[in-house]
Amino acid sequence: MSARNPGTELDLSWISKVQVNQPAVLRRAEQIQARRTVKKEWQAAWLLKAVTFIDLTTLSGDDTYSNVKRLCYKAKYPIREDLLKALNMHDKGITTAAVCVYPARVSDAVKALKASGCDIPVASVATGFPSGQTHLKTRLEEIKLAVEDGATEIDVVINRTLVLTGQWEGSDFIKTSTGKETVNATFPVAIVMLRAIRDFFWKTGNKIGFKPAGGIRTAKDSLAWLSLVKEELGDEWLKPELFRIGASALLLDIERQIYHHVTGRYAAYRDLPMS
Amino acid sequence: MAATRAESRAREIFTTLEYGPVPESHACVLAWLDTQDRCLGHYVDGKWLKPEHRDSLPCQDPVTGEHLASCLQAQPEDVAAAAEAARTALESWSGLPGASRAQHLTRLAKMIQKHQRLLWTLESLVTGRAVREVRDRDIPLALQLLQYHAIQAHSQEEALAGWEPMGVVGLILPPTFSLLEMMWRICPALAVGCTVVVLVPPASPTPLLLAQLAGELGPFPGILNVLSGPTSLVPVLAGQPGVQKVAFCGSVEGGLRLLVQESVWEETMRRLQARMERLRGGRGLDGAVDMGTRGAAARDLAQHYVREAQSQGAQVFQAGDVPSDSPFFPPTLVSDLPPAAPGTQAEVPWPVVVASPFRTAKEALAMANGTPRGGSASVWSERLGQALELGYGLQVGTVWVNAHGLRDPAVPTGGCRESGSSRHGGLDGLYEYLRPSGTPARLPYRSENLNYETFGLAVPSTLPAGPETGPSPAPPYGLFVAGRFQAPGARSSRPIQDSQGKLHGYVAEGGAKDVRGAVEAAHQAAPGWVGQSPGARAALLWALAAALERREPTLALRLERHGVEPKAAKAEVKLSVRRLRDWGARAQAQNHSLQVAELRGPVLRLREPLGVLGVVCPDERPLLAFMSLLAPTLALGNTVVLVPSRTCPIPALDVCQDMATLLPAGVVNVVTGDQDHLARCLALHQDVQALWYFGSAQGSQFSEWASAGNLKPVWVSRGCPRAWEQEAAGAGPELELRAARTKALWLPMGD
Repeated sequence: MSARNPGTELDLSWISKVQVNQPAVLRRAEQIQARRTVKKEWQAAWLLKAVTFIDLTTLSGDDTYSNVKRLCYKAKYPIREDLLKALNMHDKGITTAAVCVYPARVSDAVKALKASGCDIPVASVATGFPSGQTHLKTRLEEIKLAVEDGATEIDVVINRTLVLTGQWEGSDFIKTSTGKETVNATFPVAIVMLRAIRDFFWKTGNKIGFKPAGGIRTAKDSLAWLSLVKEELGDEWLKPELFRIGASALLLDIERQIYHHVTGRYAAYRDLPMS
Repeated sequence: MAATRAESRAREIFTTLEYGPVPESHACVLAWLDTQDRCLGHYVDGKWLKPEHRDSLPCQDPVTGEHLASCLQAQPEDVAAAAEAARTALESWSGLPGASRAQHLTRLAKMIQKHQRLLWTLESLVTGRAVREVRDRDIPLALQLLQYHAIQAHSQEEALAGWEPMGVVGLILPPTFSLLEMMWRICPALAVGCTVVVLVPPASPTPLLLAQLAGELGPFPGILNVLSGPTSLVPVLAGQPGVQKVAFCGSVEGGLRLLVQESVWEETMRRLQARMERLRGGRGLDGAVDMGTRGAAARDLAQHYVREAQSQGAQVFQAGDVPSDSPFFPPTLVSDLPPAAPGTQAEVPWPVVVASPFRTAKEALAMANGTPRGGSASVWSERLGQALELGYGLQVGTVWVNAHGLRDPAVPTGGCRESGSSRHGGLDGLYEYLRPSGTPARLPYRSENLNYETFGLAVPSTLPAGPETGPSPAPPYGLFVAGRFQAPGARSSRPIQDSQGKLHGYVAEGGAKDVRGAVEAAHQAAPGWVGQSPGARAALLWALAAALERREPTLALRLERHGVEPKAAKAEVKLSVRRLRDWGARAQAQNHSLQVAELRGPVLRLREPLGVLGVVCPDERPLLAFMSLLAPTLALGNTVVLVPSRTCPIPALDVCQDMATLLPAGVVNVVTGDQDHLARCLALHQDVQALWYFGSAQGSQFSEWASAGNLKPVWVSRGCPRAWEQEAAGAGPELELRAARTKALWLPMGD
């Protein structure tokens, strides 16, 4: 995590001045995907970089210690060792940025990560995830408990009732959505959020992080997200302190693409370890 | 495993996270050029034409300098061969039912679809433009154009009844954007039944490939012929028998002028610069560049412009990830260019943007309209009312609100002033290649003896010509300018004879200064007249019609003195009255909206007045022709300077007495005098927006030549009389088309 957002005086005129030109945003979203392809070794390097931004996530009702443990192991060894060696990247310490679980599974994740001897942070969704429609008191308690269990990052669901009625909250990171909605991370929405981050930075000098989540499943998608952030905010945002991708299936597809890059063959799923 | 050489690279990229090249292979282009033994000729009548003993020019990759092929340069006899092929093909092609032409165009679209990679690679390779632009924009648009025009051809017999194809069309193309610019023009031409001869600049092979694709479709090989050659061949092409029209387009998509409101100037500049820093330039065939190159000449032009601007004290900002060597040039933002500096009026070259601040929307409009060009513009504002105000006020062919550069086959695009008056796309684009059925074909005849320097320069002096034999009532005397009769600057008069050769009366001898005064009066009246609602204009035209009706006995007598049968004279007055009423009624309902693909929201097709029109009336039908020409120009919101019939101007002057009381001063101005001299004054006037000349062949030729000075649209009769009493010739849609211009206003929606 980056330095905390120290916050500023609430100036609602900033918000009332915001104008979004939807057709223009849609066109820009289309352009970025078409114009910023990367190929060959650039693609391999970018994909490995994307791995380091992933919040490797499991948010299922039937999560147990065993699948959380497997997830943590995958977080530590996201890409098969021989593939990394072939790329001469095995000594770069490539892991995912964090693992992300429900509050009740935080202790499992902390335990599993400690056992495998790594310091990947554990993120927890909290505060009545995914709706946020619980009392402030229980939501605060939830955060407190997750932190006590060892979570170092909390994905807070903001109170959208307050937002829709014009009462705002501040944060260090903003996330496109919970990943549990019917529409999650889309490019046009992301452009608007990234521009807001840029405006805030220009006004205050504080850098806010960005996390798209939900629906990012393919290696190609992840590359587009990287170039979107690079284009809109610049290279300084391309680090785990300021950029995360919330995803679960994405990692496997990236690994398959790396496999193809190294071997020239398309991998069968059984060729790669599951998470 | 292909994993030894590059892997150290991956480590480095992992840290820098830089973009890499995404090269597209141009092997397909080389293979195609090999089929021609790397020597491109011309494509005429479905065959490659490679005459011997021709100069050839190399076609090179503008970035690497790689020699791709040599291109033969056409000679006049090659142009003649292409025109001959087009003429022959015209007989069968124009005779086909529209539905069959539609089928053929659809087949061409499929053919292009099958070979699109070759097309986009070739276009990007030889022009240096970003392949992404060609692949993702030009090719899909080319296909849409064919499909749209196939549909238009399919319903041509019903939708365009009363019109026929012009014939063989000559087309002159610029070096860049040749593929798309060609499609915008050949699609409507072919759809309505014309055949085409295209002259492309040296070393532009894409049109040749397109012609080959079309030629290989079979039965109509000669409909599209492409020659490569120098611009010195343009007059040769224009002079070929059967060539009815020559369309040309200059370089397109140059640099931009940006006007930014002072209150958001700093913020806008900051955002603009931030965005420019992220632009990537490089070889066109790299799939991840935003901008390619337009060649070394364009680069030199940009560099020269920027240096000039700098020397005049302008601020220059350059950014972006662009190779520093020729032919590349970085995106450049020029600001603080002093308003009076020479560069402010000059055309901005690509890829330069010149930004200037403005205070109010009104000021922005004045600045935007204060250039000789009028192609397209975009307005960016979240205030809808203000955006529309600007959109309507901008004197350009296309306005995008909160968008830029959108195009669709159904939306007419074009321009005004020096950007040219022709339209492409939509119904407007089709009319460019049609003429009213029965119009005499344009003859390639040009008088070599016509001296442009002296034509109409001197006015023959006039002397008293005997007694006036009782004209009753006495005709008004003077030039009708700014709503009243005024004495001519020359203070001399010309006699008007009746059909017996007796003196009917004297009219004022107008001259250059009188035309100048009339044009000025017309300009002063223009804003008020445009501002009237169509309904108000219609009411005034109807009031004028009623006044004309009351004057019928006098007007009929005047015509009778000029040898018109009493019955015919009455009929002419009656028909003149009807013209005014009909055009009054048509003043309504000129605008409509279009729905296009890939845009949520309407595109408004606005019919706007041209401005101040100069009209030189024919000798024949002195009252009816005058009214038939005046009524549509007024109905569509123009103000006008008319030169009435040379032989019988008095009825027009009679009507001026009514216009003096009914119409706002200056809306109509009537200048009598020597037709050639007044035509000369109007044609050479830079602030007359269009000229209609109905007179001699020589006068027509002169008007066309002189009007080129500000590229004003001209309509000339070439000495052919017109059947003014007939509906098609006297009140047909041709007049409506010529009396206004089309503007497309794009209005994207979004929440």
